[in-house]
Amino acid sequence: MKKILAILLAGVLTATAFAGCGGGNNSKGGASPFGDEKDVTLKVWAPDAAVELTKSQVEAFKEKYKDSGVNFNIEVVAQGENEAATLIVTDPDEAADVFGFPSDQLNRLMAAQVLTKVGSKYAKTLSEEGDNQNAEATIKAATFTVEGEEGLYAYPETNDNGYYLVYDNTVVKDPSTIEGVLSDCKAAGKTFVMDAGNGFYSCVFAFTGGAKIDGFEEDGETQKFTEYNEDEVVQTLMAFAKLMKTYKGTFISNDVASISTGFTNKKVGAGIDGPWDTAANKKALGEKMGAAKLPTVDVNGTPKQMVGLFGYKYIGVNSHTKYPKSAARLAEFLTSKDAQIERANQVNWGPANLAAVTELGDDPVLAALKEQSKPENSVPQVNISGTLWTSFGTLGSEMYKDSWNPDDQAATLALFKRIIANIRDE
Amino acid sequence: MIKSYKFRRGLANGIIYLILGVMCIIWVLPFAYLVLHSFRLDGAPVGNGYILPRQFTFRNYIDLFSGTSSNADVQASLYFPRWFLNTLVVAACSCVISTLSVLMVSYTFSRLRFGIRKTLMNIAMILGMFPGFMTMIAMYYLLKIMGLNGQLVSLVLCYSCGAGLGFQISKGFFDTIPRALDEAATIDGATKNQIFWKIILPMSKPIVVYTVLTSFIGPWTDFILAKIIMGDKFNNYTVAIGLQKMIDINFKTTYYQQFLAGSVVVAVPITLLFLKMQKYYVEGVTAGGVKG
Amino acid sequence: MTYVEYKQLNPLQRFAFNFKKFFKNLPGALSRFFKGLGLAIVHFFVGIGKGFKNYGTTFVKGDWATKLSYFVFGAGDFHKGKYYKGILFFLVEVLYVLFMVFFGGKQMYLLPSLGFLKQQQLEDEYGDTYVVQGHNSMQILLYATLTIVVTIVVFAIYISNIKDAYRHQVMRANGEKPTGLKEDAKEFLDGKYHITLLSFPILMISIFNILPLIFMILIAFTNYDGDKHNVLFDWVGMQNFGNLLNVIDNARKARTFFGIAGWTLIWAVAATFSNYILGLIVALMINKKGIKLKGVFRTMFVITIAVPQFVSLLLMSQILAEHDGAFNMLLAHFNGGVNPHVNFLGGQPWVARLTVIIVNCWVGIPYTILSMSGILMNIPEDLYESARIDGASPVQAFTKITLPYMIFVTTPQLITQFVGNINNFNVIFLLTGGKPDNANYFNAGYTDILVTWLYNLSMGQEKDYGLASAIGILVFVICATLSLIIYNNSKSMKDEEAFS
Repeated sequence: MKKILAILLAGVLTATAFAGCGGGNNSKGGASPFGDEKDVTLKVWAPDAAVELTKSQVEAFKEKYKDSGVNFNIEVVAQGENEAATLIVTDPDEAADVFGFPSDQLNRLMAAQVLTKVGSKYAKTLSEEGDNQNAEATIKAATFTVEGEEGLYAYPETNDNGYYLVYDNTVVKDPSTIEGVLSDCKAAGKTFVMDAGNGFYSCVFAFTGGAKIDGFEEDGETQKFTEYNEDEVVQTLMAFAKLMKTYKGTFISNDVASISTGFTNKKVGAGIDGPWDTAANKKALGEKMGAAKLPTVDVNGTPKQMVGLFGYKYIGVNSHTKYPKSAARLAEFLTSKDAQIERANQVNWGPANLAAVTELGDDPVLAALKEQSKPENSVPQVNISGTLWTSFGTLGSEMYKDSWNPDDQAATLALFKRIIANIRDE
Repeated sequence: MIKSYKFRRGLANGIIYLILGVMCIIWVLPFAYLVLHSFRLDGAPVGNGYILPRQFTFRNYIDLFSGTSSNADVQASLYFPRWFLNTLVVAACSCVISTLSVLMVSYTFSRLRFGIRKTLMNIAMILGMFPGFMTMIAMYYLLKIMGLNGQLVSLVLCYSCGAGLGFQISKGFFDTIPRALDEAATIDGATKNQIFWKIILPMSKPIVVYTVLTSFIGPWTDFILAKIIMGDKFNNYTVAIGLQKMIDINFKTTYYQQFLAGSVVVAVPITLLFLKMQKYYVEGVTAGGVKG
Repeated sequence: MTYVEYKQLNPLQRFAFNFKKFFKNLPGALSRFFKGLGLAIVHFFVGIGKGFKNYGTTFVKGDWATKLSYFVFGAGDFHKGKYYKGILFFLVEVLYVLFMVFFGGKQMYLLPSLGFLKQQQLEDEYGDTYVVQGHNSMQILLYATLTIVVTIVVFAIYISNIKDAYRHQVMRANGEKPTGLKEDAKEFLDGKYHITLLSFPILMISIFNILPLIFMILIAFTNYDGDKHNVLFDWVGMQNFGNLLNVIDNARKARTFFGIAGWTLIWAVAATFSNYILGLIVALMINKKGIKLKGVFRTMFVITIAVPQFVSLLLMSQILAEHDGAFNMLLAHFNGGVNPHVNFLGGQPWVARLTVIIVNCWVGIPYTILSMSGILMNIPEDLYESARIDGASPVQAFTKITLPYMIFVTTPQLITQFVGNINNFNVIFLLTGGKPDNANYFNAGYTDILVTWLYNLSMGQEKDYGLASAIGILVFVICATLSLIIYNNSKSMKDEEAFS
């Protein structure tokens, strides 16, 4: 009954909406990119690091459209991307009209229906060859099918949201194997930092063993995994646990913030960190900073590539915005090739725009990230169940405990099975 | 005999002094650590690798109040002086309203007799036991209907609305004031209203101070509800959310020492106030507690 | 035992007597409580029945103006010359009708389904998307709750309007004149003073405590989870409670609930008694005769109370941190310079649990000291005097007088502290955040207590408001029953008029 009512009413509403809209546009005649929006007030969220830059880009946007006859009043508010989804989901009316967010929030934002679909014409240019083309993975991740219709729901902004190995190149000579990195650190009396108790980083242990996530099951909320060999995963986990034990005192599980601090006071030799700390690490190490993709780990004699999460950042348009056209134009502008290049130059964000990538050339960190983004080295940070973070966090912190026996195959298997069950909420 | 008794008493007192001394050190040491590190010079945030700072500076405090950071490349949007002022205003307003409601409710329950009095008292007692997180989102949307979301007024409302439920201690205090006083006044023709303002209140200094103190501190410590209500309106943050923001994952690396300095700035005035009012606080809690 | 016999007992015996009495009476108190609850419910329905009867008879006996009051608020009062009240009543009716037409009616209509329209995203001819918003179940539920509360209040006003009309009709028949505004106002400062004093607090509490509370209780019967704020969700009946209490399948949520409930209880007992006993000892030491610098000592402890908890607890968690925490570095000094890296807050479960209890002492003892000091000073000096005359040693005086007196006087505080510790969010949340993780739990760790788990479920990564509300209700029922029984059987409640 409820469903029938819903369909009926939705149908009527759609019809009236179409009628109303068509009429409205006809009377206006012209195809202004802003429709009939005249006095536009928009709020933009950008993380603190990019506020100044975004402000100047907004000015450029106003400059570009100064002849359109639209009166813009655009405010840029500093808002950490990690909280964007929480805030906008709590009250979309008060949230920003245009906002930046990382790819793992896509599902939450879609579930709360706060993202506006990118107009199909423009969306096409984002995936076709040309100056607007973005990395395929970034487009694919933000493409959703709602009520049978496929569409792109966010504008790709960066293709760099992953972690890599950052090291002091006077300490670590060969960054290609984790055993080498650890022994170099130990020899120099320094530590290697990885936040093993945090699911964002400790998922590496399971991913490397082959248990990678692969979107959702049919129900749209249970995490799906690629097919994996349980024994292989367990052997890999045991290899990691053994490393932690062998290099106890060198392999430190700690907050990533302690990496740049450790570089400054010369206690840390290497760590697994991401672009969000690049500036701090560069400042601490200067010329001595080295960056590389994640190293390999030795599992019973064979080196295996460590596999990390790798995500993207997007700019989204709030579906509750009062000025959808202006917001869309602004989002388009903020994710254009030039804007992405500007961002790479000023705040070290790796662009998603392919032309921008070519134009920028090689920076060691961006090169490491590019290497890391390859499918054999990473798992896309999309379609992630909320249960994943704490569960993988538990996996890492259990293995890191002093009391954990790295040779206990049965216990490792039991723990792994438990973790997978928790992630899948079984 | 007497000598040995004296000796024994002296020994006992000595041991007690020793224990108390050690305990005081344990209790105060963390705060000494806080204060010392708030003056620390080097940029290292967490895990500095030593207990005592090596070099001291006022820079953290200067940065805190100028809203900049000398060791950050990118400036976060921190407005500590503004937040401090916000909190002060909210705390002052809500403590006036809270104190009034508490006194009104506790006087009513202590002195006036009416039909549903016991029922109301029972309801009031258990209402406060509901864990509040779930109601916060409802409060937010209620404030939104009133058009108050994101404004300081809404914080004042939220902090003082439930104050009436905490009447037990001051009711206990009012219960100890002899009823004969009221009766005498009634015979002289005083109304209940006059008794409340002219007789009971002047005698209730300890409990008034106690209520003022406890309700004044609330706004300085809440970081959950205030965050929900304020959202992205940094201008209207209170110090608690602000300090919480400084040790957020994005800012911890650069703002940790400012967080320490900010904590000291928040703690000092409240501590001073508390020390000054301690006597009344004890009197209030004792008088109310014996019966409550 | 008679009163005289009781008075002849020494304090310790009195305490033992009361203590025994309390537990002997507990089953009786429990049964009385539920009997009372049952009676109250029966009374409630009988009252409603009576109300209906009165409603009918008043209509039959009323004159035309009273009868009109059944449809137009305040008509009776206005007719009898009580103009201001009549106008006020009428205003209420007008406002209510407006409220229902423009706001409440729609919410009530949508309440049973919680809305059905989904959001639509369509494209106009220029390739731009426009959005047609759908229904928002959360707002429907909240606003419907608001409508219901308003309706109940207006209904009460409606009934009092009828009663008032009839009262004035009777008064006129008896030849009395209605009181004027001035006299009524005076009455509100004296005879009806409780209404004046309570109306403002009750209004505030109704809006910001009771209304959200009803909303929260209703949520426990829906499948509202974190990201469904602005979209649709549905009624699911008792499913959330089923998940929580489903012990038979040993489902993860049930396992977590009982596991955490057990630890919450242990935590509350340990935290309450450790604070109480240690606080009492310190208070005794400070207040011992012959100890000087009492004020200084007390002040030192008071600092902990004055510093906001989120500062002092975050500081503590920083100091106890595994790698570069000050405490581990201090231990290194005694360990030959080798940092032991003890993980106090996230390592072995029992270490973390012990640590939170100990840190809680650091936070809580000062409160105990303050309140105990006051009470200690209040012990009647003549008790000690007579003990000394009877030849009691200081130790005897302590065990026979001080201790029983303290325990007797502070029992109610002990209970409030116990309930407070069950809901002690700050210590756990700021110190360990629930760590160490527990792979067997749903969204919780070893040190999580019920409220912090509730926080994870309502504000954390993986949200489930429905489940959180169900937990909230269960916690509430347990706490409320316990404290109502204890409070209503406590001496202070029974002897309320003792001092008067």
